[in-house]
Amino acid sequence: MSLESRELSELKSKIGRDPTSTELQIVAAEWSEHCSYKSSKKHLKMLPMTGPLVINEKGYDSGVLDVGGGYVVTAHIESHNHPSAVEPYGGAATGVGGVVRDILSAGTRPIAIFDGLRFGNIEKDKQARWLFKNAVTGVADYGNCLGIPTIGGEVEFDECYQNYALVDVACVGFGKKENLIKNHAKKGDVVVLLGGSTGRDGIGGSQFASDSLESEDRSAVQIPDPFIEKLIIDAILEARNEKLIHALKDLGGGGLSCAISETADALDIGIEMDVDKVHTRESDMRPDEIMVSESQERMLIITNKTKLKKLQDICKKFRIGCSVIGSVKFDNKVHVKKGKKTFANLSADIVANATLLDLPSKKPEYLKTITQEKKFKPITDYSKTMMKFLASPNIASKIWVYSQYDHEVGIRTVIKPGGDASVLRLDNGKYLSVKIDGNPKQCYINPREGAIGCFEEACRNVVCTGAKPIGMLDHLQFGSPKDPEIFWTFLESLKGLTDFAKDFKIPCIGGKVSLYNETPAGPIKPTPLIGILGLIDKKPLVHQKITKGDYLVMIGNTKDELGGSEYFEYIHKFIGGTCPTVDFSESKKNMKSVLEIIKQELPKSVHDCSKGGLAVAVSELCMIDQIGCKVSLDTVPGAKLPVDRILFSESHSRYLVTIEKKNIKKLENILKKNKVSFKTVGIFGGEKIQFSNGAKSIIDLRVDKAQKTWLNSLRDLVLHG
Amino acid sequence: MATFSVHVTIENKPGISDPEGETILNDLVLKGTHKIVSKIKTAKMLKFTIEEKDKKTAKIKVQEICDELRIYNPMVSKVTIDVFDA
Repeated sequence: MSLESRELSELKSKIGRDPTSTELQIVAAEWSEHCSYKSSKKHLKMLPMTGPLVINEKGYDSGVLDVGGGYVVTAHIESHNHPSAVEPYGGAATGVGGVVRDILSAGTRPIAIFDGLRFGNIEKDKQARWLFKNAVTGVADYGNCLGIPTIGGEVEFDECYQNYALVDVACVGFGKKENLIKNHAKKGDVVVLLGGSTGRDGIGGSQFASDSLESEDRSAVQIPDPFIEKLIIDAILEARNEKLIHALKDLGGGGLSCAISETADALDIGIEMDVDKVHTRESDMRPDEIMVSESQERMLIITNKTKLKKLQDICKKFRIGCSVIGSVKFDNKVHVKKGKKTFANLSADIVANATLLDLPSKKPEYLKTITQEKKFKPITDYSKTMMKFLASPNIASKIWVYSQYDHEVGIRTVIKPGGDASVLRLDNGKYLSVKIDGNPKQCYINPREGAIGCFEEACRNVVCTGAKPIGMLDHLQFGSPKDPEIFWTFLESLKGLTDFAKDFKIPCIGGKVSLYNETPAGPIKPTPLIGILGLIDKKPLVHQKITKGDYLVMIGNTKDELGGSEYFEYIHKFIGGTCPTVDFSESKKNMKSVLEIIKQELPKSVHDCSKGGLAVAVSELCMIDQIGCKVSLDTVPGAKLPVDRILFSESHSRYLVTIEKKNIKKLENILKKNKVSFKTVGIFGGEKIQFSNGAKSIIDLRVDKAQKTWLNSLRDLVLHG
Repeated sequence: MATFSVHVTIENKPGISDPEGETILNDLVLKGTHKIVSKIKTAKMLKFTIEEKDKKTAKIKVQEICDELRIYNPMVSKVTIDVFDA
């Protein structure tokens, strides 16, 4: 762990002397990319972060939204990519732990977990299979032990993650507005470290996350202990109810160093602490090690001396460690002592605020030619292609993954994983719909439009449940920002997200930037991940079983934009083409119309049309309800296109509405009134998924056969190679 | 060729936490009267029965098998291999 020489001289000039070794460690942790966001922070400010529902308080690690009736929802997203790439089980599990504590630190109870997982080609690569299998088990074991349902997410495979893993975890919390922790501190307050003991595990984690993964750092592995985390949740919530907490902070990357300096800086106070008071796992730990250890399941609390006794009683009841490690001062200093001897004494402001960089950016060379399409071999048997497609890892059902997660514990889950967005019941009579989405294949081809696409897709998913998007989480994952071409893709994605967020008035309530995601084969594709929270005032649209004679109506135009589509990449092994673009006004119109028809209770279900295009979206509806469907491709809204383009285009703003015949007139009236592009494209019935173009049959599949392949292929691939 | 019993002990590296061991210590052993116990570490042991020409080759072979099949993760675990005559 080290500072760059430029940073070292900067530190020296700021403090006017040579730093001690402990000070060096503290600053190196806090000034790492992971903790300081030094490359990205300047630019992140462009995102709109305020809105009528957003509650901003100092020192929050999560975003807070007022959902009415005196209740708030909190949300945060984190990644644990580097640790998961070397130890997928522990890395993924501790990733869940970290984001859960971020939610807890606002004083809200974590009520749902989401995971976005990305790995290399699991069809060919044994390492990718090993990473995938263990990361899923890690998320499942940790979330299930905590009694928090894991209700949604996504899984994707791409060659660019070879020997690597992107493990993103989002968490949603819920609580009363009056119970939010209003971070503050008074003179004489004490600083308490609560939770697991501090050990040598995970030393240098945040530094490690900011380096590329060329050398394997052995000490940075963290061991999950969900049972302590569960006790911490209950203890903190009890202390919150007793009003014992003045300020609360999760210990994440950078350990005590970051927690102490960020708390001091945010609250404009000083903290004096003694490393001898920290409960450690081993007796011979050096002050430097104690300060930067990233041992899991720890929280920092500021309280006063009278409340301390009660807090200690609560900790005793839950049998979790609790040590008073220091006190609040008013000199704005981070003062670390061991007994009487001082090991570090720095201004919190200097430690917590690394100098922000303004890195150069340059449009990548590869983008000049990326839109050129090559000539493909014509497909002779679409039914066969379709079966291959349904078995492909990115299209196949992810039931093997989410069936390992307890997604009902807590009895809030109204719409379970496996559909579009998942929906939770809130105590104020409303419902919360949440979805996370990413699309590195499209973001590689067009970082701006790709990122907007992820945003719109996540919005579409919550809209399908009848929810209005109220907040966004962004997680921007890129390679090394020191490469101007990579940094350009970062900026483009960010600008795209900003434009969409402003236009749709969806505030960004939290996020994370993860840079230096590099594998031995090079940087990963740009992978922004977007989480959307949607609110349903009355009742969500719960999928009703499709029966014979129901109509399939398609909303939105299908366009010739197959760049980054599964069809190009999986079937034709081609990376390139035109990335789908979101037309903001069409998108808004379609969203509004879908919400209106759901409000009128017209559709039986609304399904988003995205990965794999229309062919996959229709097949999913058929396979889930085990019913056939006849679709006429010549009726699909949009310009006249070749058959394969209509089937597999991943154009945005498209929805598939299933509706009973008797409601079709009302639906048409609403859609016509809103000037939405739509058509009835199919009718359900029989036992076959059939696509035809005019009189010509294109795809003809038996539903039961397709369903078997779609449901089982991912599991078979993971378990049997 | 002879038959050997090869014991592979897989435990968390020193310094890495061992929640299972700590739980057994705190919630079981120390709850009784066994105050003389100060630490418990958990491990997983695999016992291979293997045909090889000598102890050294048996040990190397088992190590290879464990590495190849990812029976443990070298990032997290410390592995001790002991060979016995079967």
